Amino acid sequence: MTDSAKPQLMDRPKTEAKHAASETSGAAFLAALDGTRSAATSAHDEALDRLPVPHRRVERWKYTPVAAWWKDVLSTEVHTVQAAGCAANPVPGLDAYRLVFVNGIFDALASDLPVHSGVVCMPLSQKGDAAVQPVDAFSPETTDWFAGVNGKYGQEGLYLRVAKGVTLDRPILVHHHTTGSGVFNALRHDIALEAHAQVTLVHWSTAASSADGSVNILTRAAVADGARLHIDKVQDEEGQVRHIAFEDIRQSSDSHAEVHTVTVRGQWVRNDLAFRINGSGAHAELNGAFLPGEGEFVDNHTTVDHRVAHCTSSENYKGILYGKSTGVFNGKVFVRPDAQQTNAYQQNANILASDKASINAKPELEIYADDVKCSHGCTVGQFDSDALFYARSRGVGLEAAKAMLVHAFIGDVLKGIKVAEVRLEVEHRLAEKHGWEVWSDYPNDDA
Amino acid sequence: MAYDGKDKVLEEVTGKSYEFGFTTEIESDKAPAGLSEDIIRLISAKKEEPEWMLQWRLDAFAVWQTMEEPDWPHLNYEKPDYQAISYYAAPKQKKQLNSMDEVDPELRRTMDKLGISLEEQKRLSGVAVDFVMDSVSVATSFKDKLAELGIIFCSMSEAVKEHPELVRKHLGTVIPTRDNFFSALNSAVFTDGSFCYIPKGVRCPMELSTYFRINESGTGQFERTLVVADEGSYVSYLEGCTAPQRDENQLHAAVVELVALDEAEIKYSTVQNWYPGDENGKGGVFNFVTKRGICHRRSKISWTQVETGSAVTWKYPSCILKGDHSVGEFYSVAVTNNAQQADTGTKMIHLGKNTHSTIISKGISAGNSHNSYRGLVQIMPSAANARNFSQCDSLLMTDTSGAHTFPYVEVKNPTAQVEHEATTSKIGEDQIFYCLQRGIDAEQAISLIVNGYAKEVLNQLPMEFAVEAQKLLSISLEGSVG
Repeated sequence: MTDSAKPQLMDRPKTEAKHAASETSGAAFLAALDGTRSAATSAHDEALDRLPVPHRRVERWKYTPVAAWWKDVLSTEVHTVQAAGCAANPVPGLDAYRLVFVNGIFDALASDLPVHSGVVCMPLSQKGDAAVQPVDAFSPETTDWFAGVNGKYGQEGLYLRVAKGVTLDRPILVHHHTTGSGVFNALRHDIALEAHAQVTLVHWSTAASSADGSVNILTRAAVADGARLHIDKVQDEEGQVRHIAFEDIRQSSDSHAEVHTVTVRGQWVRNDLAFRINGSGAHAELNGAFLPGEGEFVDNHTTVDHRVAHCTSSENYKGILYGKSTGVFNGKVFVRPDAQQTNAYQQNANILASDKASINAKPELEIYADDVKCSHGCTVGQFDSDALFYARSRGVGLEAAKAMLVHAFIGDVLKGIKVAEVRLEVEHRLAEKHGWEVWSDYPNDDA
Repeated sequence: MAYDGKDKVLEEVTGKSYEFGFTTEIESDKAPAGLSEDIIRLISAKKEEPEWMLQWRLDAFAVWQTMEEPDWPHLNYEKPDYQAISYYAAPKQKKQLNSMDEVDPELRRTMDKLGISLEEQKRLSGVAVDFVMDSVSVATSFKDKLAELGIIFCSMSEAVKEHPELVRKHLGTVIPTRDNFFSALNSAVFTDGSFCYIPKGVRCPMELSTYFRINESGTGQFERTLVVADEGSYVSYLEGCTAPQRDENQLHAAVVELVALDEAEIKYSTVQNWYPGDENGKGGVFNFVTKRGICHRRSKISWTQVETGSAVTWKYPSCILKGDHSVGEFYSVAVTNNAQQADTGTKMIHLGKNTHSTIISKGISAGNSHNSYRGLVQIMPSAANARNFSQCDSLLMTDTSGAHTFPYVEVKNPTAQVEHEATTSKIGEDQIFYCLQRGIDAEQAISLIVNGYAKEVLNQLPMEFAVEAQKLLSISLEGSVG
């Protein structure tokens, strides 16, 4: 293929206009942050200047209100689970290594770092910036304003290296806890797996019921040839906490990466996942379930970028929206010109369970190669009245019948959660939030 | 793949010349290039328009000056210089025509070349045609016969003069002036177009048709179509277009507004075959069109489009389902070849209860072209029991072309049922093999497969158009084996 024949559309720079009021708010926000902490680096200042502060006219932020972000800039002295009064391990019975971050600071006493040959795992602050993977033109820091904020202020997080061929014996639980009022926490995790290494991570976010603040988490992971990375990500934050999370995952040949996201609770949640598949034979899997209740907002943005031939990706997001809640799903599958024989699948199904709930879905395909199989489906509906009738005619109450349907509806997403204890706890917390007693009666595969 | 004649056949297609690329040597009356209030006053004066119309244009111009050309479409083109275009070009006519026989013979020949010999069509297919060249409607056939039923079918400029109450009542109600950059531009400078009114309870006995042609160089075409179907009426409306082969990019920014009052039905079909530019992407028409219809109670609007031409297409025929039980449909086949780019789709805005919409979009990309579907399905809180089904399939012919899907689904009512599905694939090698095995050559096999693929949409077209569309499809794709 000659250069002139290459599509010019692919990386066409789009001019996204800055919005004066948003720029002012954003600048004031940064200035206020500077007053409460010192910036980790000035490396992202250029990007922060260049990128528009998100507002409704920026396509990626069309459905996502950010006004509530500007008020939370404080840092707090509460840095241990003991002071915060929360459990170090939020998942009962989970046998895992553990890193606990309270309000963005590593709590060494509550943590249990892995001691395993070939595994380097420590808080980022102990490692130093030089060891961190560099930022490039595709990194969230250079493409999204909020990620740029993370780059500027995020100083702590997980530093993980797994050597060639090493499989870590237990999962690593990364627990973030937020407490206090008006707080702003930024964390960044830096993960690299060498060839054929394997690791399972559980990212669990919690917040005190009195908490009020913002959390900005950025995870960068490089998955080398034949390596396997599995992330179970659970967001269960009480209080008035806004949570934005970026995952930037780069895959090499024959690697396997999975991220399973379940949003149990969260006032305002945005997940921004990007998989870049740079080696053939790789597989990416992204699943998610979100069940926002009254007043909650959940936004899932995903990008799967197929850059080379013979790769597969599978994506499945399920949403059930209760009360006056809003959901957003934006999935983008990108198949570059050389990525022949790509097989990409994307599914997004939503149920509106309340007349005040709304969903905005945008499943996108952008395809520049011809010998590919790409499909996506998107549905919005309600509980199947026939199924409800069937259950009720057999003596199951309406709410219980609905709970049953919910269990079936998000079952395939929950099933993807690798760590059984995490899955059970997620089910337990969902049932608790929505008052589904019936769930505890279900037989469990792992029991 | 098994078939080795691929390159040869591909060359043939790219070498295929545009059939309608001739120009007509008609003296024309052309305004100087550029856009200003004076030009708008000139256009308005030339059209002998009433004062309210001029004011409407000037307001639109003021709005347009504050707007910016959209950057969000998935298109890559050099933005036209709006001051380098002549906004008015009319085939010169000495006097008001009384019958078809008085039409300039050159013009008649153009029509013949386009295969729309008006007389013949009158007799054979019973289609009433309004022919718009450059910016001015030059002939409308069958007018008297339609008038007997109370149907008004005439050029827009005539309607402004003779039916001001209807035009004033509906013009700009579906697509307000400030709707977007191109609709504002059109509102300021539109020169002609078609107007159609079907009275209460009348079923229009024949297809109404408009044929658009850009002839002059350095001009743009800005026509405006308004179709009003009064309560309980029915009309089927066809639209076709061609342009001469030129090195420059010509601009076509039309606005089409449909109003379907209670229990009315409008079927609007387009076969768009503007000059697509040469194989290197030089020349060709920029087709920036705003089309929208509003459905009142129990009414129905159905858009069918076959898009094969234009260098750049930006077009989203939409339905506002305002009335309860109204129905919106969108059927589209968009074919892009060589360096063509298309960003097309629809918007279905559900406001009324029990409203239904269907979207079937078939994209076919060949050469180095890019074909995008962009659609919005919006269910507002008031739209109880709304139902939408969308299907967007893309067929890729070459590894240098692109197929993209950008569907927006916004649902604010829990009783809604919305389904969207999209697939992208290339023509099945097994299907071609099956045909080859049975003595059908690759060329024909592709034509067969593509026609089968697009059948759901082609079936929606009126008979005369379906034949033309099928021919167009095979010409546009001849040999594009991928």
